Amino acid sequence: MLQYLVILLDDTSVAYCHADNPLKKHNLIPVETLKKGIIFGMKNNLMIQYVFPDYRLPIEYHKTIESIDNVKICPINQIPDTGLDNENESDVEVANSVPEKVKANNLVLRLKFSEILTKKDEISKLFGKHYRLNICITDVENFTDEDIEKYQQLLNNWNIILLDLYKEGETPQLNILTDRMMLDKMHNCDAGVNNITLAPNGKFYLCPAFYYDEKMKVSNQMNHHKPSSDNSVGDLDNGLNIPNLHLLKLDHAPLCRNCDAYQCRRCIWLNRKLTWDNNTPSHQQCVISHIERNASRDLLNKIRGIGEFMPDIDIKEIDYLDTFDVRKEF
Amino acid sequence: MDFMTSIKKTSNSWQSGMAKNITFIVTKDCQLACKYCYLVGKNETERMSFDVAKKAIDYVLNNRKLFNEDSVIWDFIGGEPFLEIDLIDQICDYIKLQLFEKHHPWFNSYRFSFSTNGINYHEERIQNYIKKNHDHLSIGITIDGTEKKHDLNRVYKKTEKGSYKDVVKNIPLWLKQFPFGSTKVTISSADIPYICESVLHLFSLGIHEVNINCVFEDVWKEGDDALFEEQLMRLADKIIDDGLYEQNACSFFNDNMGKPMDCIRDNNNWCGAGKMLSVDAAGNFYPCTRFAQYSLRDKDAWIIGNINDGIDQNKLRPFLTLDRTTQSKQECIDCNVASGCAWCQGENYDAAQTHTVFERATAICKMHKARVRANNYYWNKLYRKLELEDMREQYEANKREVKSEIC
Repeated sequence: MLQYLVILLDDTSVAYCHADNPLKKHNLIPVETLKKGIIFGMKNNLMIQYVFPDYRLPIEYHKTIESIDNVKICPINQIPDTGLDNENESDVEVANSVPEKVKANNLVLRLKFSEILTKKDEISKLFGKHYRLNICITDVENFTDEDIEKYQQLLNNWNIILLDLYKEGETPQLNILTDRMMLDKMHNCDAGVNNITLAPNGKFYLCPAFYYDEKMKVSNQMNHHKPSSDNSVGDLDNGLNIPNLHLLKLDHAPLCRNCDAYQCRRCIWLNRKLTWDNNTPSHQQCVISHIERNASRDLLNKIRGIGEFMPDIDIKEIDYLDTFDVRKEF
Repeated sequence: MDFMTSIKKTSNSWQSGMAKNITFIVTKDCQLACKYCYLVGKNETERMSFDVAKKAIDYVLNNRKLFNEDSVIWDFIGGEPFLEIDLIDQICDYIKLQLFEKHHPWFNSYRFSFSTNGINYHEERIQNYIKKNHDHLSIGITIDGTEKKHDLNRVYKKTEKGSYKDVVKNIPLWLKQFPFGSTKVTISSADIPYICESVLHLFSLGIHEVNINCVFEDVWKEGDDALFEEQLMRLADKIIDDGLYEQNACSFFNDNMGKPMDCIRDNNNWCGAGKMLSVDAAGNFYPCTRFAQYSLRDKDAWIIGNINDGIDQNKLRPFLTLDRTTQSKQECIDCNVASGCAWCQGENYDAAQTHTVFERATAICKMHKARVRANNYYWNKLYRKLELEDMREQYEANKREVKSEIC
């Protein structure tokens, strides 16, 4: 069921997930389109998530933006100037390098895997602050089996730091290590199912990455039939039209529905990019998520050494890193 | 060994489906322009070079971990593969040599397989090739039935003249060399009135195994299912009343079909796309030939790698995780006559609303249901006859598994 409407306020709105935003030219959403998008959200009971660019919006946008309760996703240190003093705070800040200062309650840190390795100590200093930390690997496709041990070692080291914080009574939140400890079912991105994106052109997309790809003419294999390079799934005038919506859902993902790496993003854009299928994750995606899942298991067990913690959560020991390797073969 | 036992032993399902199937699209050219042909992009220019074939063979034979099956079927397809007989001969020699030099387990467990239109079957170069490789060959000649039925679709591309006479003259030679040869018949809407007489005609030519299927494309008209059922009923009566079932088999009649299917036990994918490997003249790899561009009307080719970079295993994952229920509509999952209802993964992809192999095309639905009704009639009638003649046990012992040929 749809719950969130992501509104890209500009073509250059900050990328906050796996896909980089390659669009460099400002293209602000027309204010009338913005208003229609907000009304669409209200009619469908959707929480609005604005994604801001790195420049100040014209004053006429301020009132419209604040006409509805919302979540603001902004580039780090960018004040989402909406004209209302008590609303000029971002809920999610996005950084492409380790920041010195974070104001929001959520930080998305987008880095290549190699950068995560080299900046591991700086990153670990962000643990246990006032904000939740989401680490997002931006080059999943380049993750090799030679990286497995490096990632396992990194997460083991970070577990030691997190455990110390727990011992001190803190409850640090780091998506790749602490989320799985709290989950008893899949909690994924669910683009197209749980959330939908409105682009400045007034069209809906499964997520921002599909809009970027359309603008960059990356591929016409993303959606619909060959003659069209349109990745959109509806527009404000005609509503949503998501063909094969059921194929975006967990129960139609043969690998994922049998998997318990519940914290995995299950990024359908990465799936499309790497396997050419919405609902089939790549080897890299599965391995990364299972390394995180296993490290979460270790952390959970260590925390339980301190005292009772999440007694209903059971993360079993497994001997594989890719669900594909243990799939049921027909 | 009686005839049916022989046919059972030499069935197309060589090595019980445990063999790797590797297909060379040696040419996209064909003498014919069959009206039902799904190959929409045939042309005279895309002919495989030996260098491309050699690199594909080297890749396969040097990656035993990826290709670890006990046996292999090297399949040659077109267009019309025998147009490139010199290349094929060179490829086969290279394969044999490499298998020997590498002490490869496939050395004693390989076949070369062809599906040909049969037009140039008699030519010297092809006959020399057959003599050279006979014990490792599977060759099927496609003949659609009577002259009228055959020439309805299987016409020359330049003259639009029917090809029946040029094919049928080669059938005796073919059956002499391959006594248990089978043919593949394709049914489209216009062919329905000729089904019964065509199958009987093929039996009369000495072709004892007729693999026949309706096209998967959305070509069916109102009333086609009733006509189809009537033809199959007529065919059932002829086969049973004239005792033709003792010597012949037609894949339309299969006593395992037309039953409900369990979501867990019977969840296998019908199609082998992804378990096979296909390579074209450009050196690109596909999960099956149907995913090459010349086979697709509305979608881009699904390329899974190439001879230089190898297979991108990520691109194979959707195919190797496909199961029946995930790609089926609820109507298909709940269907009381689901078993035996086939699909082609390539057609599913081509007809799908999105870029997916998980949307099952169901244009064939009403034809399958008609087939099930006629099939039930066939087996009820045949078994009753055999019981009355006290022959059922003997029949069951020798009955061959009918292969549902779909590609």
